[in-house]
Amino acid sequence: MSKECRTFEHTADIGLEARADSLASLLEALAEGLSDLIAPRRQVRPRRRRTLSVNADDIESLVVDFLNELAAVLQADRFLVSQVRVISASETSTEAELIGEPLDAARHEYVTEVKAATYHDITIAREDGGWLGRVILDV
Amino acid sequence: MSEEFEGQLEQVDENRWRIRKSFRSDMRVDAIIYSPREVLPDILAGGAPKQVVNVATLPGIVGASLAMPDIHWGYGFCIGGVAGFDIDNGGVISPGGVGYDINCGVRLLRSDLTAADVRDRMEKLVNQIFRDIPCGVGVGGSYKFDRGELSRVLSDGAEYLLSKGLATEDDLSATESGGRLAGADPDAVSQRAFQRGGDQCGTLGSGNHFGEVQVVDEVYDAEAADILGLGRGQVTFMLHSGSRGLGHQVCSDAIKMLRNASRRYGIDLPDRQLVCAPVESPEGRQYLAAMRAAANFAWCNRQLLMTELRKTLRRFFGGTDESLGLRQVYDVAHNIAKIETHSVGGRDRRLCVHRKGATRAFGPGHEELPERFRQLGQPVLIPGDMGTASYVLQGTETAMQQTFGSTCHGAGRTLSRGAAVRKAKGRQIDKELAAKGIIARARGRSGLAEEQPDAYKDVDAVVGCVTAAGLGKKVARLRPVGVIKG
Repeated sequence: MSKECRTFEHTADIGLEARADSLASLLEALAEGLSDLIAPRRQVRPRRRRTLSVNADDIESLVVDFLNELAAVLQADRFLVSQVRVISASETSTEAELIGEPLDAARHEYVTEVKAATYHDITIAREDGGWLGRVILDV
Repeated sequence: MSEEFEGQLEQVDENRWRIRKSFRSDMRVDAIIYSPREVLPDILAGGAPKQVVNVATLPGIVGASLAMPDIHWGYGFCIGGVAGFDIDNGGVISPGGVGYDINCGVRLLRSDLTAADVRDRMEKLVNQIFRDIPCGVGVGGSYKFDRGELSRVLSDGAEYLLSKGLATEDDLSATESGGRLAGADPDAVSQRAFQRGGDQCGTLGSGNHFGEVQVVDEVYDAEAADILGLGRGQVTFMLHSGSRGLGHQVCSDAIKMLRNASRRYGIDLPDRQLVCAPVESPEGRQYLAAMRAAANFAWCNRQLLMTELRKTLRRFFGGTDESLGLRQVYDVAHNIAKIETHSVGGRDRRLCVHRKGATRAFGPGHEELPERFRQLGQPVLIPGDMGTASYVLQGTETAMQQTFGSTCHGAGRTLSRGAAVRKAKGRQIDKELAAKGIIARARGRSGLAEEQPDAYKDVDAVVGCVTAAGLGKKVARLRPVGVIKG
């Protein structure tokens, strides 16, 4: 499965832009991009697993809710992520496995406080046989 | 973007520009932007004017959709956006008109210390404040509240801290709304929000939040300054922070909850970040109750930050609050929605006034102001960038008449964080600030670069515009000499 995610600039904030060959991979790429922004994945060991399920009325809401749930797991539950594996994904529902470990202040560092993923100029679309996702984050 | 408004911007007076409601068929009122002519092209080149127009389409809006001169792009409402919605006429409340950082605001503490008292010890003082004030991403506070205590923080705001001996009556009287919005409901706040903000009360955070040591370098109105305890050469301390992760989560939860409500109430939205519901609807009431709770958390946050700061100052200078002359000047909210009565079309109406990146600036005699400020008008605190200045203004009758008693909130950003970091490449911002006599400390890797003075508009020009427009009267200018950033 091919997937990639990069950040782009937006006024005061940061956006995530991902490309992947399936919706599931697109969600994985965006989720891992968000994780790298908040607490880089390279510092996290894959020791525990937890699941994240989201349902929404449309695909934009699905992505916004998915990323906001993940931001809360990282920042409120203090469970850091080394890998995101999307088990199932449709345009209104997804289930993902988050692989990582609880925050250990001695080894882990938060680098960005992300307030939320937003709807502003959001794009989740099929493109060239794959998927494109652009989401702006309020940081 | 600028072509879109070509020929549509009508000059009302020197600092006011109108987009008539005939510009777009869905507008219910005019849009009015306060700005000096020189910066208008920059404003039009960004997306903010369209956002002022979008807000003009929301149900129940009265007067005009307004933007202050520190206007720049935001989520839903622009930053610098002000709008009043008639509650008894289907008026709405929108989390996009408050922002993710609910009750982000500014607090100012005055002292009897003079510039000469701190000059030779500034580096040590800033280092000490930097050690003592919890700041930075993911850093918890010194005050731990259990669930029950946190519920009291949310429902009672700074009054709860008064009962715990962590605030004084004097602090509360010098805080907007006394540091507590009535009608806050902790049960309207999600478990997630409790978790996210639970250990963050009394933390500065990151981004544009800061603590500053300042010197009063200009007094414009000696009588007003005297009432506020400010005099030329005196040292002041400013704190800028909000409701931290708790407020961010309350906003995210509300946007999720309201996206179906807008449809249910037949509200056509030009932007999904403007989701809203009538104030007098179950969904509107739920958001209002949760937002008020987050606002109360923010006032407790700034109160605890100031409590820590006072401790540091007492230890550092060896004295008491009284001997050092430490007294809170005021505390303002600049991301909030409030129920207020304003005269519209010659009739008093109950409005839900949204101020997003805008500051309340009630004029002289307003009954909500404490006795000692009442004849002066509300003190207004306008933080600038860390290399220039901040201002203390007083509210005016003109603001009451034109902007629901509101004015600007700061300098307003012009560069993205990335652009600011690139502009700082090869430079040492801390050394540049030191050369200007400003000691700066930052926790984050790129904090100083992102927040460098070049990233912001000229605060002197922004404040010059609001005072020329009559939306505030200058009392004093505060020059930074020490800065801490998260």
